[in-house]
Amino acid sequence: MFKRILFAIPIVLTMPGTLSADSYKAPEDVLKGLIEKVDSKYLTQSEQNLMMMADNPAYWTAEDGEALFYLKRGPNNASLETCDFGKGPGVLEGAYVEMPRYFEDTGKVMDLETRLVHCMTTIQGFPKDDPAVKKRHGSGSDMMKLQTFIAGKSSGYPWNPPLNHPVEKTMRDAGKVLFYRRAGNMDFSCNTCHGATNKRIRASVLPNINVPEEWTKAISWPAFRVGHDNVRSSQHRVRGCYWQMRQGRVEAGSDASIALILYWTDAARGQPAILPDMKR
Amino acid sequence: MFTHKILTTAGGLAVLGLFGLFAGDSVAEDASAADYSAMTPQELADHLIIEKAGFRLNEKAQEGGTTQDRLTQDGIQKACSALGKRSIDSTTASKVTSIARESIKLPEGGIKLGDWSKGEAVARSGYGFRIGHRNDNHSKRNPGGNCYACHALAPDEFTYGTLGPSLTGYGKQRGNSDAILKYTYEVIYNAHTYFPCTAMPRFGHNGVLTQQQISDVMAYLLDPKSPVNK
Repeated sequence: MFKRILFAIPIVLTMPGTLSADSYKAPEDVLKGLIEKVDSKYLTQSEQNLMMMADNPAYWTAEDGEALFYLKRGPNNASLETCDFGKGPGVLEGAYVEMPRYFEDTGKVMDLETRLVHCMTTIQGFPKDDPAVKKRHGSGSDMMKLQTFIAGKSSGYPWNPPLNHPVEKTMRDAGKVLFYRRAGNMDFSCNTCHGATNKRIRASVLPNINVPEEWTKAISWPAFRVGHDNVRSSQHRVRGCYWQMRQGRVEAGSDASIALILYWTDAARGQPAILPDMKR
Repeated sequence: MFTHKILTTAGGLAVLGLFGLFAGDSVAEDASAADYSAMTPQELADHLIIEKAGFRLNEKAQEGGTTQDRLTQDGIQKACSALGKRSIDSTTASKVTSIARESIKLPEGGIKLGDWSKGEAVARSGYGFRIGHRNDNHSKRNPGGNCYACHALAPDEFTYGTLGPSLTGYGKQRGNSDAILKYTYEVIYNAHTYFPCTAMPRFGHNGVLTQQQISDVMAYLLDPKSPVNK
């Protein structure tokens, strides 16, 4: 309960100065707003999750991530405060909803995870095989703690990947091809499950990419997955979908995964992010 | 099918060869942004999967072959992917149905109904063919058809999917004439024969289910004693 109060304080304090649409909003309030706007079985399928969102275990993960972010560590004994997530060194507010994006310093389109790996290896000097960067999954991993903290600074901000650089557009378009690309011995594509509204696999209601108010929840990662008892990332979702589609293992941080994430983020453009989210 | 796969791989090697010629491997990596913009979205998607090894391409699949084989598209997959979110047009529909019709192989000794209770187990099981991590081990457990993921079947099962139509009372409504047996077999074997670019897997053509499993699932759908028809 005190978590909710902790998170409420900064909102109250910043309220008078930030009356623009782009400001922090608690994830449960974002979701309530969407539910009032559209009639969606996907958004309302778990009453328990809606009730638990204010006490989302992902807040503990985010809190650990905050401590890690400002801690001087790694071979270079440096914090991550100089890491540029696209809006300038150390600027976290609203940074995540503008990713994936093109970064001049690497010449690549990067998502949050690959950008974090880049900063941890270059600024902090971690070797690529150090568990701090290599372990990508589970609430106990540095990677999930940091991602949950950083992404949480974008809750309520509208998804807005820039698409100014030509390669951002190219990657988005390739991501669209990947989304509709049927393959494997089951002939599935992402669209098989995510192209229609109020459809179910067994008892689970599926989100539709063509309904942005639904889709923003679908892509709001990190999220605490109740069934996994862990906070999960966008990269984890991509890996899990390809596994279920029987198409093999997508490489973590590969350009294929980033292209897909860029396409799916663009599809939620303008809708407020729910961060961290809570999912079944 | 085989020719197609060889052609795709050869194309990939040619692209890699070009990179090697002009740039050298490490430089090609750095220059990727410019190279990406020169490709069509379709070319780039395939490039990211194969040449950039976006997947663990060499991992073995249960049916033989590798992840790369799984990711290489055949004619129906290509035609149906190209639609994107558009609904199917008549040219694609007739092309896909004719490829599908040619793929149908009827069982030796004719189409027979198997054991509905075994068919029920196949309909309920989503096990099989997952690779990359937590690989499904077919020597320990047979793959299933996962019919319930998308279809309602027995009226007392409430956790059914809705991506496909309800099949509750399938046999009761249709009877089990030879024509219905043949139609049902063909839909399970390759549903594109009747529903071009359907979301339903080609259980027979792709070797997801054995002939015995197909005949057991058909009994689950058509046998008057099956719970589906109660």
